[in-house]
Parts: sequence; structure tokens; C-alpha cells
Amino acid sequence: MSRLSFAATAVVLVLLFGTASWLYPGFLSARVIANLFGDNAALGIAAIGMTFVILSGGIDLSVGAVLAFTSTLVALLVTRHAVPPLLAIALGLAIGAAFGAVMGAMIHRYELPPFLVTLAGMFFARGMAFVLSLESLGISHPFYRSAATFGIPLSAKATLNAPALIFLVLFAAASCLLHATRFGRDVYAVGGHEPSARLLGVAVGKTKIAVYALSGTCSALAGVVATLRMGSGNPAQGTGFELDAIACVVIGGTLLSGGVGSLAGTLNGVLIFGTIQIALVFDGRLNSWWARIVVGALLLLFIVFQKLLARAASRRA
Amino acid sequence: MSTTRPDPLHPDPLHKLRAYFAGFPLLWPLVGLAALLLFNVVYHPGFLALEVRDGHLYGTPVDLLHQGAKGILLAIGMTLVIASGGIDLSVGSVMALAGAAAALLAKRADLPLVAVIVLPLLLAAIAGLWNGLLVTRIGIQPIIATLVLMTSGRGLAMLLTGGQNPAFDRSGFIFLGNGHLLGLPFTIYLVAAALTTAGLLLRRTALGLFLESTGDNERASRASGVDARLVKTAVYVVSGVCAGLAGLVATSNIKQADPIRTGEMMELDAIFAVVVGGTALTGGRFTLAGSVVGALLIQTLTQTMFYLGVPPPIAPVPKAIIVLAVCLLQSAGFRRDVVGLVKRPIRR
Amino acid sequence: MRALYTALFLTAAVVACKKTDNKESGKESGKPDPASGTSGTSGTSGTKQLTVGFAQVGAESAWRTAETGSIRAEAEKRKVNLKFSDAQGKQENQITAVRGFIAQGVDAIILAPVVETGWEPVLLEAKQAKIPVVLVDRGIKTSDETLYATLIASDFVAEGKMAAEWMAKKLNGKAAVVELQGTPGSAPAIDRKKGFEEGIKANPNMKIIASQSGDFRRSNGKEVMEALLKKHGKEITAVYAHNDDMALGAIQAIEESGAKPGTDVIVVSVDGVKDAFTAMVEGKLSASVECNPLLGPMAFDAVEKAVAGQTLPKRQVVEDKLFDTTNAKDVIATRQY
Repeated sequence: MSRLSFAATAVVLVLLFGTASWLYPGFLSARVIANLFGDNAALGIAAIGMTFVILSGGIDLSVGAVLAFTSTLVALLVTRHAVPPLLAIALGLAIGAAFGAVMGAMIHRYELPPFLVTLAGMFFARGMAFVLSLESLGISHPFYRSAATFGIPLSAKATLNAPALIFLVLFAAASCLLHATRFGRDVYAVGGHEPSARLLGVAVGKTKIAVYALSGTCSALAGVVATLRMGSGNPAQGTGFELDAIACVVIGGTLLSGGVGSLAGTLNGVLIFGTIQIALVFDGRLNSWWARIVVGALLLLFIVFQKLLARAASRRA
Repeated sequence: MSTTRPDPLHPDPLHKLRAYFAGFPLLWPLVGLAALLLFNVVYHPGFLALEVRDGHLYGTPVDLLHQGAKGILLAIGMTLVIASGGIDLSVGSVMALAGAAAALLAKRADLPLVAVIVLPLLLAAIAGLWNGLLVTRIGIQPIIATLVLMTSGRGLAMLLTGGQNPAFDRSGFIFLGNGHLLGLPFTIYLVAAALTTAGLLLRRTALGLFLESTGDNERASRASGVDARLVKTAVYVVSGVCAGLAGLVATSNIKQADPIRTGEMMELDAIFAVVVGGTALTGGRFTLAGSVVGALLIQTLTQTMFYLGVPPPIAPVPKAIIVLAVCLLQSAGFRRDVVGLVKRPIRR
Repeated sequence: MRALYTALFLTAAVVACKKTDNKESGKESGKPDPASGTSGTSGTSGTKQLTVGFAQVGAESAWRTAETGSIRAEAEKRKVNLKFSDAQGKQENQITAVRGFIAQGVDAIILAPVVETGWEPVLLEAKQAKIPVVLVDRGIKTSDETLYATLIASDFVAEGKMAAEWMAKKLNGKAAVVELQGTPGSAPAIDRKKGFEEGIKANPNMKIIASQSGDFRRSNGKEVMEALLKKHGKEITAVYAHNDDMALGAIQAIEESGAKPGTDVIVVSVDGVKDAFTAMVEGKLSASVECNPLLGPMAFDAVEKAVAGQTLPKRQVVEDKLFDTTNAKDVIATRQY
């Protein structure tokens, strides 16, 4: 069943990309594909963390706010306090992980609903980002200047930039973690049916806390990537980001009830999202709000599709 | 009813205590509100001052009710949705949608005022119905079902207005959000009317009972003859209408539509109001009065920020802390841990 | 399953390949313009139709809508193929749009940056692709001025100063001012604040008693003003708003408090949109410093020169005028936005 919805996502991606290539000259080019990864790296990274959370049966609404907080923190530390960039980045990631772990602990230990805890986490992190700085901070540091130009050239005009590379590397690492380790199996087990997972000897509490910590780290990394992409930290960025990330995961075929889904599907979801956005830029005539509407419609389409598949599967069983 | 409840004639002492607190579900939200008001009065003795200007009652308390009207309206709908075991994330977008529609209609002088108000509310009701059908007929989790409208609703509003903020000059409609009646802002009457309607619906019809049973145990309520699907769908429609009304108030208040900003983050404020008010997120136990107090608490918090000169973007931090504190206090596990922490040093 | 995926991808690729062969580079691919012979307005572009991308912030105020309208109208007049992108107020979307324009191989990009920082990487990319970028209405912070061709904008500091000086004259150098700031971190908010503070320096009896962000929004301006009126009461003698929308919101709040805007409380703002002129004619708004949003003609002049390889002055200042209740009536009829 998960295969079937993965295939459906892939078909949608190819159709969308194909249509856009047909309509807009220059769309089917290495540069657009490289941009697709580079421009959506932050979204993709957050969506990877979100996939783990949703697979475990939870949800994380704090990703956009944690992204904004981390990017502002890194920018502040580097520009105002002369902290070496790599140290600032490490600190940002550590705070993201700790933040996620605390939320996970509250969800697990005190049995609070995940959406509520992470919603409060979102308010908190967003507010704290503005406490750090009310305005966008530019980072001028040799490390960031070289990071801005760093990249692996694909062709004369297309380069996979640093954000895109980080996204791809993380994607590979996360795929290994999810599909080839004990932890990955535990995540599926907890999301599939928590009581049976417990019976099978899965450390449910630890797994849940780890999943939220992972998502917090991913969101923080997305914030770091945002600083690389813009050479600045902006506390106002990433509003509504959590919803985009959830949409990508769901469009990618991961069941919101947990237990079923894949990272490859999420990648498809992110690319679909990005393709819609770039296609609108290429068109240059349509209202950009169409992107929101199309994503909403796709979201609905895929949920209904999943429901139908599930119903068919249960009838067969 | 098949559920086993303690015999009301012979309650055990602990249950009595619990029942006592259950009898005052408003206690904690009210304590919170009072504490916040006290804090403000200490810092700004004029905070609660009221006077009459131009024949209107004027002062921060009136503002709290007037500005808080949108939040209270949303909280009414949200309470019912949460009581049914669901959640409605789309209220902010529905506000924007209804507001955009109302502004466009208000610009047309040939339309009667009734149409300007009723048509957007109808649109909001349809939006609610859409949510309800997704939840009950297709069986999508409420968070996600309403997420669809949350992401696309604002886009629809932007398309309606063509990305503009249409302004209007329609005295009847402007009265809705700015007018005064007997010295009080009209919005206060609007909220009172909405509350009364909701209260009557819940207490005088069997809807309240239905809701409590639906949220608590869907299967049991189905067995007892409650059409859970119908109740649940209805609840989303009510929430949609409440959001629509809030959108009309917001739009009327600034005499223009603002599809990007109208209701932005309001869904979260509404959920927070309901949670702080003491309604259980698991469904079943709910209190409308508590949600109203919760909404007023959130509005007072916003007002406090303005008074203290705190930049608005920082305002979410205290909101988050309050809500988490409330939830933790409600959690049995947390109380056990805290009691354990307090007892340990004493034992030594 | 994987086979199906691959097969689909290949089909799509083959289908699309035919098209890309002759469209490898976007610049040459512009459709032959049937009207190019008659497009006399563009002196430099000869037979080729220009394709220009415009990365707009959003549609948050009447001012911005007017700006978008001006650029669209001018593009149509000059037969320029305009690619318009609305970033919905988000910098990340604007960057995606600019990179999309670069990938598309447009001839030039017009950018209205939402905040001052965070543009260096993407502008560097544009520079490497040899696509000139014309900044409109707001500047950016950068150490490398070669990243953009020119900045066409009003002098926000001067606007703030003009507002302060007018207010000082009107109130004889004595005022308790509430300042409604724009979006924190945006260039107009920073500079209009700075200019105003400079402008009142000469008058020690003019004090800013409260300064809060209303985010350039009417609703926020109203709400903040309501709270400040309760806090400071009759002490407030003047309001300085960073844009008209907030001022109009504040005027509503002042009216509701029972005071008369324009007499009891002087309200001065920046932008000069039509609603502001209406309020000035009614006597509610005392003055508004015009910040001209009709940047289309200047922007496309710059674009054509930049595409032709000419160097432009880094800063082109749009002249601003102050209007008050005395001369608003003469202008209101001709105001389009």
C-alpha cells in the first residue's frame, strides 16, 4: 500500500515537472533541478525530521519557529559576539536537539497531546527568536562568504550549492537511519501500534523522545541552511513552514496515523512543492497564492487516496 | 448509560473533593485572569479605570471585551469542536475568507446590508461543513482535515480580492465592528448573543449531552442512539459560522479587508483559550464559560504587552509558558513528579 | 514499481527534450515579438523583446499595490515581457523567485527587498549570470555595491525629517509624540525613525513618549494606538506613523477615545495614498509626506540602460513632497492610488 502511494506521488511529480517543462522554455534544465534542491533544502531538511515524527504517530508544529530561532542565534553569535561560525552552528544544533527532547519528554511522560506541546513550543521559539533580535541580522564572515560561493558544478550554469548538498547528505543519512537500523524499526513499531511495540520490548519512551530531538535537530539544521542561503539570520522567516513540511510528508505518502511511509516519498513531496513554486515564477502571470491552493488540493487528494487504499486493504484482509 | 459512575448517594470523601473542584471548573482560569489584572493595576493604576466619553463607556476593560470579541467568538466554536474530540485549525483562514467576501459585498451599494452580512456567514458555514464532511464522511483526522482549509483558505481569500485590501464605506456594516449601543461597543452584544445561542443550544436541547458523550466515547454514544456523525458535522459548521462572524467583526473594525493578516495566528489563540479555560483536549468535558475567560486572559495578555511596551512579536513567549503550565498542572503525571520532588527533601 | 517510475520519468524527459534542444539557453529563446518593430519607447533593445522579472514583497498596503500597478503598466507600455512574483511578505520566497528568474535567463531583475540583509548570496548569483538587478523602494545592506545596478527609492531619512519639521512648526516645538513604527528591521522603519529623531533634535520640548511597531498595518496601528491612549491618555499631543495605513488606524482609535484627530491630537504620516488625502481633506490627518510608489518609468529606464551595459548611479532618489490639510484638496482628484 505504501508502495502504491509512493508511485502515485512519483507520477504527480513527473506530470507536474513534465507539464511545466512543456509550458515554459528553459524549465527542463540542470539549473532548475539544482535550484529545486537548493531552494527547498531548508524545507526538505525539516520535512525529514517531520517524517520521523509523523511515522512515530506524533506531529511537530515547532519546526518553522525553531528554524527562525536557530538562524537568528547563529547570526547573532557570529556577528555580535565573534563566535567562530562552526561553533555557533554546533551550539544552534545542540539547542535544537535539546528543545525537541524536552518537548518529547513532555509528550511522553505527561501524556500531553503532541500538537499542543509543539504548538506551545512554536510560540515559545518564535518569540525567543525576536527576543534575540527584532530585525534580520546580516552575517559578514569569511566562512559565510566562501560558503555562499561553494558548490559542485553540474554543468556550465548549474551548481549544487551548499544547502542542496547538506540536504542530500542528510537525506542519505536519514534513509539509512530509518530503513537500516534498530531505531528506524522502533519508530515504525511505535507509530504502528504503541501497545504491541511495548510488548515487543521497544523502549517506547526513549524512541519518542529521540524522534522529537531528531526533529528539533533537523529544524535547527534547516535554520543553519537558511543562514547559508541568505548570509543572514531573520527571526521573521519560516512562518507557516510547519504546514508546508507536513504537507510535503503527507503528499509523500506517509500516513498521519503513523507507522506507514518512507523518506523517499517525502523527498517527492518536497520536490512537488518546489516544482509548483518555481513553475509559478516561470509563468510570472499567475497569482502566487495559487501555490497555497494547489498544495491544499494535493494534500486533500492524497489523503483521500490513502483512505481509499486503506479501505480497500482492510476489505481484502 | 452503560458507563459505570460512582453512586451519587454514597460518594467517597476523595470523590467529594474532586466533585467540589469539578463544580468550579472556572476557578483556575479566573484566578489566572485576576492575577494578570492585578499585575497590571499595580504597574498602571489606571488600567481598570472606566469613564464616559461621548456617551460611551471608555477604558481598558471595555477594550478587553471589544478587542477580545473575535477571540471569544472563535473560542465558542472551538470549544464545541474540541468537545467533540476534534480540532479546527482553519478558523483563521475562514475569518480571512469571510472578511474578504464581506468587504467585496459591502462595496456594492446595490446589495442590502443583510446580504453583506449573511452571504459571508453562509460561505463560512460551507467552509465548516466542508471540514465536517472531511472528518465524518471520509474519516480524516481533524487536524489534517482542517489543515487543508487552513493552507488553502487564505489563498482563496487572496484570489477573491485579487491580492488587494479592498476598503469600503458602508455605515451599516461598519457599525458591526465600531458601533455603540447603550454606551457599550456593539461587539459586546454580538458576543453575548452568540454565547446565549450556544448556551441555549447546549443546555436546552440535547446537543450538550450528545457532545459530551460523543467526545468521551464514540462507540458508546452511537449505541445510545446519538448520531455522532451528525453532531460532529454540526459542530464544525458552528465553528465555521463563529469564525465567519469574527472575520466580519475584524473587517468591519478596520473598514477594509486584509486577507493576509485577518485571523493570522488566531486559530492558536482560540485553541489556547479553550485549553486554558479547562476544556479537555481529549473531548467530552467542556466549559463555554471557561473558554470565554480563557479568551479574555489571552486578550489581557496582549494588552499587557502593549502597556509594557513589549514589541508584539515577543508576545507569544508568555502565551506559550502559560498554556504549557496549565496543561502540566492538569497532568496527573506532572503533579505526581512535583509532589515527589517536594517530599524528598523533607524526608531527609 | 521502480521500473514504472523510471519509465514515466523517461517518457517525460523524451517528450520535453525536443523542446529543450532549441531552448537550452533562456535568453535566445524569447519568442519573436511581432510588435518589436513598433515598440518605439525602448530605445536600446532594438529587435529583441526584453524579459524582466519583478520580485515583489507582497500586497500588504495600498502603497505597494500602487507600486505593483505602476511597474505592470510601464511594462505593458514598453512591451516588456514581465514575470511577476508576489512573495507573500516572505524573504525566503523572494529569494526563490530571484533564483527562478536567473534560471529562466531573464534580461534583468527588479527587486523590492523585504528586509535589508540576506541578499548577498543570491545577488552574487545574478551577477555571475550577468543579469543586472535594479532595486526599488528599499535598499540593502552590503559591502559589495557591484551586486546591483542601481537603487531607485525615496530617501526615508529625509521623509522622517520632513515629518518632524512640519510637526515642530505646527506645534511650536512642543509635543508629546507617539510613534507607530513599521515592520521591525525594514529599511523604511529604521530610516523614518532615524530621520524623525534627527528632525526633532532641535526642539528639546518635543519628546517621543512611546514608540511601538504597528507592522505597517491598519489593524495593528489601531490596536496599538488604543492601548497607548489608555496608558498615556490626554498627554499625547501628536502621532507620527511610518505609513498612512497605521495612521488611519490610529485616527480611528483617537476618534473612539472621544478626542478629535487633527485638532486634539496631530497625526502625521508618510506615503500619501489616496485614503490619506481623503483623511486630510476631512481634517483628521494633519500631514502626509508623499513617498512616490509610481516607480515604473524610472525602474524601466534603469533596466534598459543596465541591459545596454551603461553604468548607472548607485542611488537614484525619488523626490518626495509633503502635503497637509491646506493643499490636499488640490491633489486628491488626480491621485490614482
